[in-house]
Amino acid sequence: MSKKKQNTYWRSLNELAKNKEYQQFVEREFPEGASELKEGYSRRNFLQIMGASIALAGFAACRKPVKKIVPFTNMPEYMVPGQQVFYATSAPNNGYVTGLLVETNSGRPTKIEGNPYHPASKGATNIQHQAATLNLYDPDRGRFIRKHGERSTWNDFVSTLQAELSSEKRIAILAEPNSSPTINRFKRQILSNHPNAKWVTYSAFGEENQLLGSQIAFGRKLRVSPVVENARIIISLDADFMGASSDNVRNIRGFADGRRIANTNDEINRLYVVESNYSLTGSNADHRLRIKTADIKPFLYALASRLSSNYPTLSPFSTYTNSFSAHEWVDTLAEEIISNGGHSLLMAGADHDAETHAVVAAINLAAGNVGNTVTYLEVPHIDSANQHTALSDLTEQMRSGEIDALIMLGTNPAFTAPSNLNFSEALQNVPLSVHLGDYYEETSKLSTWYVNRAHFLEYWGDGYDYTGIPSIIQPMILPLFNGKSEIEVLGLIATGSEVDAADEVKSTWRPLLGSNFETKWQQVLHDGLAKDLTFRSADVRLAGNFTRDITSTFDRVSVVGDNGLEVTIKPDPKLLDGSLANNAWLQELPDPMTKITWDNVALVSPNTAEQLGVSRRRFGQTDVNMVSISANGVQISVPVWVVPGHADGNITIYAGYGRDGIGKVADGVGQNIYTIRTTDTPLFISSASVSLLQQTYDIATVQDHHSMEGRPLVREASLTEYREDPRFAADMVYVPGKKDGAEHPVTLFKAQTFPEHQPQWGMTIDLATCIGCGVCTIACQSENNIPVIGKEEVRRGREMHWMRTDRYFSGDENGDAKVVHQPVTCMHCELAPCEQVCPVAATTHSDDGLNQMTYNRCIGTRYCANNCPFKVRRFNFFNYPKYFLTGGDDPEVVQMAMNPDVSIRFRGIMEKCTYCVQRISRGKIATKLETGNSIKPADGTVKTACQQACPANAITFGDLTDEQSIVSRTKKNDRNYVMLEELGIRPRTSYLAKIRNTNEKLA
Amino acid sequence: MSQKTTYIPEPELVQGNHTFGSITSLVADIVETPAPRWWYIVFAISSLLLGLLLAMLAYLIWKGTGVWGLQNPVGWGWAIVNFVWWVGIGHAGTLISAILFLFRQGWRTAINRFAEAMTIFAVMCAGIFPAVHVGRIWVIYWVFPLPNQMQMWPNFNSPLLWDVFAVSTYFTVSLLFWYVGLVPDLATLRDRVKSKFGKLIYGTFALGWTGGNRQWQHYEKSYLILAGLATPLVLSVHTIVSFDFAVSIIPGWHTTIFPPYFVAGAVFSGFAMVMTLMLITRKIYGLEDIMTINHIEKMNIIILVTGNMVGFAYIMEFFIAWYSGFEYEKFAFVNRAFGPYAWAYWIMFLCNVISPQFFWSKKMRTSITASFILSIVVNIGMWFERFVITVTSLAQDYIPASWGYYSPTWVDVLTYVGTFGLFFSHFLLFLRFLPMVAIAEVKMVMPQADPHYYDEDGNELNQANDSK
Repeated sequence: MSKKKQNTYWRSLNELAKNKEYQQFVEREFPEGASELKEGYSRRNFLQIMGASIALAGFAACRKPVKKIVPFTNMPEYMVPGQQVFYATSAPNNGYVTGLLVETNSGRPTKIEGNPYHPASKGATNIQHQAATLNLYDPDRGRFIRKHGERSTWNDFVSTLQAELSSEKRIAILAEPNSSPTINRFKRQILSNHPNAKWVTYSAFGEENQLLGSQIAFGRKLRVSPVVENARIIISLDADFMGASSDNVRNIRGFADGRRIANTNDEINRLYVVESNYSLTGSNADHRLRIKTADIKPFLYALASRLSSNYPTLSPFSTYTNSFSAHEWVDTLAEEIISNGGHSLLMAGADHDAETHAVVAAINLAAGNVGNTVTYLEVPHIDSANQHTALSDLTEQMRSGEIDALIMLGTNPAFTAPSNLNFSEALQNVPLSVHLGDYYEETSKLSTWYVNRAHFLEYWGDGYDYTGIPSIIQPMILPLFNGKSEIEVLGLIATGSEVDAADEVKSTWRPLLGSNFETKWQQVLHDGLAKDLTFRSADVRLAGNFTRDITSTFDRVSVVGDNGLEVTIKPDPKLLDGSLANNAWLQELPDPMTKITWDNVALVSPNTAEQLGVSRRRFGQTDVNMVSISANGVQISVPVWVVPGHADGNITIYAGYGRDGIGKVADGVGQNIYTIRTTDTPLFISSASVSLLQQTYDIATVQDHHSMEGRPLVREASLTEYREDPRFAADMVYVPGKKDGAEHPVTLFKAQTFPEHQPQWGMTIDLATCIGCGVCTIACQSENNIPVIGKEEVRRGREMHWMRTDRYFSGDENGDAKVVHQPVTCMHCELAPCEQVCPVAATTHSDDGLNQMTYNRCIGTRYCANNCPFKVRRFNFFNYPKYFLTGGDDPEVVQMAMNPDVSIRFRGIMEKCTYCVQRISRGKIATKLETGNSIKPADGTVKTACQQACPANAITFGDLTDEQSIVSRTKKNDRNYVMLEELGIRPRTSYLAKIRNTNEKLA
Repeated sequence: MSQKTTYIPEPELVQGNHTFGSITSLVADIVETPAPRWWYIVFAISSLLLGLLLAMLAYLIWKGTGVWGLQNPVGWGWAIVNFVWWVGIGHAGTLISAILFLFRQGWRTAINRFAEAMTIFAVMCAGIFPAVHVGRIWVIYWVFPLPNQMQMWPNFNSPLLWDVFAVSTYFTVSLLFWYVGLVPDLATLRDRVKSKFGKLIYGTFALGWTGGNRQWQHYEKSYLILAGLATPLVLSVHTIVSFDFAVSIIPGWHTTIFPPYFVAGAVFSGFAMVMTLMLITRKIYGLEDIMTINHIEKMNIIILVTGNMVGFAYIMEFFIAWYSGFEYEKFAFVNRAFGPYAWAYWIMFLCNVISPQFFWSKKMRTSITASFILSIVVNIGMWFERFVITVTSLAQDYIPASWGYYSPTWVDVLTYVGTFGLFFSHFLLFLRFLPMVAIAEVKMVMPQADPHYYDEDGNELNQANDSK
């Protein structure tokens, strides 16, 4: 399916028709009228500007634009209007790719799903994948090539590079981690063509420390690849392996698979988390210990020391002790590791130092976990040199003028590089600098050339997944803004002439696939991966220098305890290093733990907050205290947010916010904390001076109250309790009028549980496997065209997400608070209270048991929302879709991200989860076409967007009249319960109770 | 048991030794003489406020319901609070005219006319809110059962639909009742005004009234029938307004006590509002002879009675919440009194339950200052009652994760302020152009209207001496 053969990708129907208006439109940067708007608006007055552009749009409408429709003379293959076409591709991220399946509608990608063939995704995705379509259609993306900030052309760029990059030039390439075999082929080519060239891989939050750790432990850089599903005991030392970490889709699936409980005989894994901030992974822990970030390493050493008596390979630690040595957790973990020989898994946070990772590797090796629960992979394309020092060296060389040309690929060092390197300043000394990036951003503005990068849905490429399965990145659409890929830029440098990315990818793969290439190639394109290839897992044994290297650190590793206030810097669970900051879906997605949108905050424990003098937040209060943090010679001001269960004496702040001048969404959101991050303190600053500021700051959070108030909403038990009383969840609440064995309580209403109609839809959500990551929310947003409303509206409590994840703290608020997550969406009650109160019958029941919302009929009394006990209905208080979809300079771009199957809702209308009725209808139509009379799709063919995206596979959906359907069988599970069953409203969505695998010794 | 009893006659309803003629001039002169200066000033202010209301409504409809402080758990805020409050105020008029008429309470005649006017204007203020609070006002007519090609009817299960009928019926009947009562007085004015235009207008609306015997007979019949029709409506309209809440399943709303409790509250606030307005007008227009201290005391007794009914309901709600054993309802009530909106609850409790207790004292009941202050306090309290019911129940219901704290925006506040503009500009026009006291009816309760010159034992009475 190369581009040459079939020209089926285009930016819009207009371009296909190649008409004159469209040509003009492309030439002109902004549509007429919109470009008269002045530059320099911030996200804060976003809505005003939107309003203004609506007014302008009104003037433009005085003359009706003529639109021409040109029919196809030759219909492209598989192109049926209204029929979705799915293509396999993969998404690159921080040095690996994830296999995806992309839904395209009339040639434009609209929804991203996981590739079910791909072992890393198994059909699921993470929040960044779901949000990627909005990145593609982001009107703020770089739209053209710039030279010194002025508009230029690709041809100029090509000729400049051809002229400037002669072979003796001292070229440096600073690239994001990238697994692409084609890029690595060019890399080798460039390094051999240009003897003075150097290549540095840089990522703000990469796996370099893990690689360096395995170098200390095993003598070479090896990738740490956990196999979570094989682990019975999982110990995470500040490793948020299900949150902001590499390969989290596979990790979540592995964790969830280890926790599925069909009946009381099932065994499940046990997760111990030792960490400072309350991470998503920590919130799923069976036991969690909160200590400072600085104490993670001493804790690990103490654990290694305790284990040394059992494992001779750890004997170097036998002499080491610290105050953790007597800690009950060290004893417990040691016992667990020993008694679960080979089935435990120890992980440390990616940003912890190399020595920490080395010790983790040594323990995993000693416990026999290697090959079982963790593999160490030989990744051929990873540079053997220390990339941290390589970056420092490069910056020095740049500063002293030893670099003639710097090519920066994707990475944004002017924003993310350690602040002590002063990268921006050094960049000024490079005569020729090129930045290939998604946005005209911090680094681009300081570079000679800016080349706008194509989105991964727009270019040909390839890559390896985390474990080494090769995949193709195939474009779904021509680059919207004529962006260029890394392959095109590198190909130009390597070969001296322009390259065709598709051809280059193919020629890379030719030796990889061997004989019978074309057939295999088509298969790879179709499947999205070459199945039988992976990285080789290394046969590891401790390096000779390990003992020496580690024992020499003993003096330095001591417990910090209560002394001082440390500041930990972590990647944001949504925006990662900040490269996704202009994605409004991600900005508006509530943080899984704090439920804050549109901001980063200084996370502290209640005790630390009290020490700092932070006033207690009242219910409904949105303005919070700010603190000033001085560290590494820089002072920043950050709002404070109190999280129960956070480690005392620690302040954690997520990076990636505080961007400036890249787009309407990202600008001015949150605080930039890269300024206090240095090469010496990449993860935490052990002591910072922090003081309370007088000013306050408005925070937009979607959840104001954090206790379940003792209500049986999320029902949970320990594994032992569950085995003693398997039906604890259903029996927890007295349901008036419910006879023993009856499915429902008696009712005064004339109610048919199943009207004479099949199918009847229902859903279950398993709280034992749901980890609360929030991908369902964003999958739903992408599928159902849910508008973004902005920080101010969220602050007022008008969030539009149809699906939310409630997060409750329990236990001691000032101590070790526990957390539960509960996804909540419309329950499709059989006796729905919303339906009874609507004066105009705008919300009614369908024959197949859906609680329907008829938008056209709704007059917006909001009575239904008031009367919904689950509070799942969302009201369009303003014309949100208008602001979101027709505002800005180029509304047609973001409109392309919308799902054509789902209508856009006007202001004054109520909306809510539909169980993805458009997918149900597709399923019914397809079944009817196949069978001729049945509208009962086979089980599993209709999947809701949330269900499909869920990496934990916690959601089941299907036909309740089919006894054998997965959802019917799941509802027979002991743990099945209905939230607020006592109201007699018969929700169709039920939950499976949460089970914690507690260790009696720590309980 | 021998006990000496003495007959204490009811105080005279009209004091000041008035004749029929002096009563007519007392009331009709207000309309016939040029309006005083203060009237123009107050009318200008009210009109400005009315303009403010219209501006706020235009802004609301232009921008969307989001200009109010509403949010996800709290879909109804000040708009519905104001609606219920104004409808409640609108209760007194018809209650005074219809129920007290049926019970032959002669003292009602002094106040019924402007209490009815107040009712109509209050219901107008109330009626605005359910209409404008919807998201798409341009299709609001869908709430009416209009035949259409899709056979799409409104949902007759919805209390909001019942509301539409209840309030519109109440308004129509109140308006008719008021107008029928006005006819004889309009004829009086027709006969008295000098200007041609005035004669034309009053004459038109007087419907050719001549005061003939048959006309009076018909008038009395129709008035009685309308009173009979209006009486159940007095009870039904607020009962149905309360159904908006009671029929839902939200703790704090889902309560069977609501209908009687809402009606009592409505009478309570309606009488308080009549009191406030009456104390001002009787002073300004010198109507102390018609609206006497005796009237004030009687109304204060009704305020005391209904205030205690409301107070009983407040306490009974707590008992039932506890007795029901339903934890969500228990929480809802404890949370009202001690949660984030406790301030509103205690304002309500203080104003509605504690403050009327002063009226146990005859001194307070007959004190004009005390009556005036307490009548305003009661109306503040009743506004807060509706706020407490509407907002606190929604803000914190079943799912704690969805709880939210509602606060109004400046648009909410100014819209409410603006309704006073609507109310007072209409009320001032009423004072200016219509007889604010039912002249004919007041005459009926004067001794002259009942010319018996002998007592029950057949002794001659000295009429001139008795009717001072």
